[in-house]
Amino acid sequence: MKKSHIVLLVLVAAAVTIIVSMFGDFSTYETFASAAQDQGKQYHVIGELAKGKNMEYDPLKDPNHFSFYVQDKSGQVNQVVFKGAKPTDIEKSEQIVMTGYMQGDVFHCDKIQMKCPSKYENDQVAVANQG
Amino acid sequence: METQYIGEHLGPGQLGHFFVILSFVAALFSAFSYFRAANTENTDIKGSSAWLTMGRNGFVVHSVAVMGVFFTLFYIITNHLFEYHYAWKHSDLSLSPKYLLSCFWEGQEGSFLLWSFWHSVLGLVVMFTAKKMESRVMAVIALVQVALATMLLGFYLGPDINIGSSPFILLRDKMVGAPIFSQPNYMEFIKDGNGLNILLQNYWMVIHPPVLFLGFSATLIPFAYTIAAIWKGEYKEWIKPTWIWSLFAGAVLGTGIMMGGAWAYESLTFGGYWAWDPVENASLVPWLTLIAALHTLIVFKVTGRAYIMTAIMFILTYGLIWYSTFLTRTGVLGDTSVHSFTGEGQSLYWHLLAVIIVLIGIAKALLIVRWKSLPRVKSEEQVSSREFWMFIGSFVLFLAALQIIFVTSIPVWAPLAKWISGKEIAPPVDPVAHYNSIQVWVAIVIALLSAAVLYLKFKTTDTKLFWKRITIVAAIATVLTLVIGLTQKISMPQYAILLFACSFTIVATINYAISIQKGKLMKLGASVTHLGFGLSLMGILLSSYNKEVISYNTTGVIIPYGEDKMENIRESMQNVILYKNITVPMGEYDVTYLGDSISANDPRTFYKVYYERRDSITGEKVESFTLYPDAFVNPKGQEGGMSANPDSKHYLTKDVFTYVTSVIDPSKREDTNAYKKHVVQIGDTVFVNRGYIIFRGFNTAVSHPHYIPQQGDIAVTAELTLKSLGGDSMRVAPLYYIRNNFENYIEDTIAEKRTYVRLSKILPEENGAELMIRQPDEDYVVMKAILFPYINVLWLGIIVMVIGFFISMANRITKKEKVK
Repeated sequence: MKKSHIVLLVLVAAAVTIIVSMFGDFSTYETFASAAQDQGKQYHVIGELAKGKNMEYDPLKDPNHFSFYVQDKSGQVNQVVFKGAKPTDIEKSEQIVMTGYMQGDVFHCDKIQMKCPSKYENDQVAVANQG
Repeated sequence: METQYIGEHLGPGQLGHFFVILSFVAALFSAFSYFRAANTENTDIKGSSAWLTMGRNGFVVHSVAVMGVFFTLFYIITNHLFEYHYAWKHSDLSLSPKYLLSCFWEGQEGSFLLWSFWHSVLGLVVMFTAKKMESRVMAVIALVQVALATMLLGFYLGPDINIGSSPFILLRDKMVGAPIFSQPNYMEFIKDGNGLNILLQNYWMVIHPPVLFLGFSATLIPFAYTIAAIWKGEYKEWIKPTWIWSLFAGAVLGTGIMMGGAWAYESLTFGGYWAWDPVENASLVPWLTLIAALHTLIVFKVTGRAYIMTAIMFILTYGLIWYSTFLTRTGVLGDTSVHSFTGEGQSLYWHLLAVIIVLIGIAKALLIVRWKSLPRVKSEEQVSSREFWMFIGSFVLFLAALQIIFVTSIPVWAPLAKWISGKEIAPPVDPVAHYNSIQVWVAIVIALLSAAVLYLKFKTTDTKLFWKRITIVAAIATVLTLVIGLTQKISMPQYAILLFACSFTIVATINYAISIQKGKLMKLGASVTHLGFGLSLMGILLSSYNKEVISYNTTGVIIPYGEDKMENIRESMQNVILYKNITVPMGEYDVTYLGDSISANDPRTFYKVYYERRDSITGEKVESFTLYPDAFVNPKGQEGGMSANPDSKHYLTKDVFTYVTSVIDPSKREDTNAYKKHVVQIGDTVFVNRGYIIFRGFNTAVSHPHYIPQQGDIAVTAELTLKSLGGDSMRVAPLYYIRNNFENYIEDTIAEKRTYVRLSKILPEENGAELMIRQPDEDYVVMKAILFPYINVLWLGIIVMVIGFFISMANRITKKEKVK
C-alpha cells in the first residue's frame, strides 16, 4: 500500500468523522408547540404573519425590540419578539422563517427571513441582528 | 378576431427571437461538425478539415447570434420598451444609465445570456489557440452552448411546461388574461416598468456579475480540454493549455467571488463580506476544486502522477458550476438564502438537472471507457517530495469543498432525510459559526502546506536543508504571531494557530521569493499567489476576530420589558437611536446625527452623521469626519419600507462601518401639537423624547407657585420623575384640582424638551392617573456601527493573489516547452 493511500485514508476517516459530527449542528424545522417542549433551544419555525394582531415597534422606546404575532404551520398563533429593528416590509411577507427559541409563551428570535410576493427577482429579505 | 394592439414595438422582439433560434441552431451545427471533424481526423483527412471549417463557421455564426441577442435586449432596455416583460420587470424610466447593464443579471434569462456571451468569447479564443485539440475541445464547448441556448428558447409545450424562457416575451403574453390587455391601446397605460432591485443599484453590481460569470465560463475550458484529452487518449498536449486556462479561471473566479464580498460589505447590511450564504458557498466550492485540480495538474506534469484525480477535479468543478446555478436559480434553497432567487418553476429545475446529468454523464462514460489506459505511475512517491504534499493539499481542498456543499445542499437532501428519519432537517442555526469551526482547520492545513511545499522539491528533497530553512521561517513566523497575537488579543486556540499558520505562509513565501528564487519575476507566480492567500487569511482573521459593534445602546433609555432577562436584551442592543443634534458616545467616537438630505436626481435619502474623536486625557479633538449612510425610503414596490446602504470611514488599519436600521417615515410624521393620552398606575413609565417618565403616585400636600388654595378645593399633584438620556432625573409635578365642580389643570412643562405634561384625570378605582403629554416630534435615526480592523489586509491579499495567478499565466504562455 502506498504511503499516500494511507494518508488519504486517514484524511477520509477524519472527514467522515467531521461530517457525522456535523449533524449535531443541524437544526430542525419545528412548530411553536414542539419548540416549546425544549425551552431555550434554538429552532427554525416557519409561519406567516398573523393578520389582525398588533405589531409593536417603537424605536423611541427600544430600537431593539419588535413584537408581533405569527401563525405557524399547525395554525397556532404565537407572540414573537425579535431583538432588533423591525424588518421593513414584514407586512407584505407571505412567509416568515424565524430562528430562535421559546421562553415561556413567547418565541424569541434573532433572525428573521421573509419571503415576499415576487415583485422582484431576488425577493427575499433576511434580517439578522448579529453583526 | 385577434386584437390589433396599438403602440407596440414588435420588431426588436422578432429580431431578438430570430437571434435566439439562430444561436441555438448554429451551436448545434457547430457541435455536430466539430464532432464529425474529430471522428474522421484519422480516417478521412480531407473530410475532417471540411467538417472543421464548418464547425468554425458555425461557432462564429453562433457567437454573432449571441451578441445579436445581447444587443437587441440592450436596445429594448435602453429604449424602455415596456411591452417586453423583461424590460418591464427589471427596469424603469428613472434608472440611471450606468445601471442599465445591471438589468441583465437581475433576470434569469439575462444571466444565462451573459454566461453564453462569455462562453462564445472564450470559445473564439480557444478556436484560434487549441491547434490539434481544436475539434474536440470546440465540440464540447459548442455542446455546452447548445445547452445554454435551450435556456433562452422559450418553447411552450403547455401552460407550465416550457423549454427555456425567452427574454423577448411580451408582457401581454406573459400575463395572459389580465384585463388590461383586452384594450388595444393598453400601452398607453403602461408608463413605467417595475424597476431594478435597489440592492443591485450599486457600482459593485455593475462589475461583479460580469467578472463572476467570466470566472464561471472560464472553468468550461479546462473541462472541455479534459474531455477532449480523454476522448483522444492524448494526455501530454492537454497539460499546457489546461494549465493556462485554469490559472485564468482561478484568478477571475477568485476575483469575482471577492467582488461579491466587497459588494456585500459595501451595500448589504449584514455587516461583513462573507456570511457563508448558500449563494456565496455555491461559487466558492467550484473555486476550491479548481485550485485542487490546478495543483494536481502540476504534479501530473512533473511526475506523471495524479492524472485521475486531476481529471475528476476538472470535471467536478464544471459540474459544480452548473449545480450552483441549479441551487441558486431554481428556488430549491428556498428559505435558507439571503439572495437566492425566485424559483422559475419546475421547468427550469428539470432543465438544469438534465444538463448536469448529460455533462457529467458524458465525462463519466468517457472515463469508464478509457479507465484502463489512463496515465498512471506504478512506483511510490517519496514522503519528502513536493508532489506528495501537493496531492495531500489538493485532497484537503476537495474535502473542504465537499463539506461546504454538503451543508449548503441541506434543502436538497432534506426531503430524503425526512423520509428516512422523519425529521425536517434545517441548516445550522448559526451557519457562520458552523462553517468557521470546521473550515478554520482546513485553512490552517492549507496555509501551512502552501508555504512548506515551496521548500520541497519534486521527486526527492534534501530533508536536512528543508528542515533548516523551515525552522528559520517558523522562528520568524512565531515572533510575528506573538506580536500580532498579543497586540490584537487573539486568544482562542484555533485562531491563534491560524494566526501562526498565515504568518508562516507570509514569511515563508517572501523568504522563498527573495532568497531562493532571487526575485526573478517570471518565476514568482506560486510564491506570490501563496503570499496573497496567506495575507487574505490574515485579513479575514484580524477583521472578523476583532470585529466590534460600537453602537451599543449606552443611552440608558432601555427599560426592562416585563421580567425579561436583561442579558438577552443586552446581547442584541446593537442598534442605537440618534436624535438630531444630540451627541451619543460610540466606542471612542462621539457621534451626532445632523439631519437628512435628498437630492433631485438620486432616489436615496442620505443621513448626515458626524463623528468626533477626542483624546481621552486632554480632551482635545483629535479627528472628525462625517459619514453619509443612505437608504431608499419607501422604494417602489415596498412602500412603507426602506433599504439601507452602509457608509464606511476607511483607515489604513480599520474601517468604521455604519448603516441606518430605522428612520421616521417622513410620510407618517405625527401632528406635533397633539396631546397624547397615557393611563398610568403607580410605577408605570411613559416614554418621551430622549427619556422616560415614571409615575410615582399622588401627592395631596400641594404647593405650587401658580396655585392659591381655596376652601372646598380638591387638589392633587402627580409625582413624576423624568429620567433623561444623559442619566439625570428631575421632578415633574402637574397639578389637578376641582373647584366649584369644575376640573382645572396646571401643567408642568419641561422647558428644554418642549414637553408639556397635564394630569387630566384621576382614576381612584385603579389607583391610576390619566396623563396628557404633548411633545414635539423629533427627527431621529436608528443606526448600527461596526469596527472592522485590518480589513485592508484582506483586500491586499486578494489583489496579491490575483497578481500571482497572472504572473504564473504569463510564465506558462511565454515558456517554450522542450520538445521531447
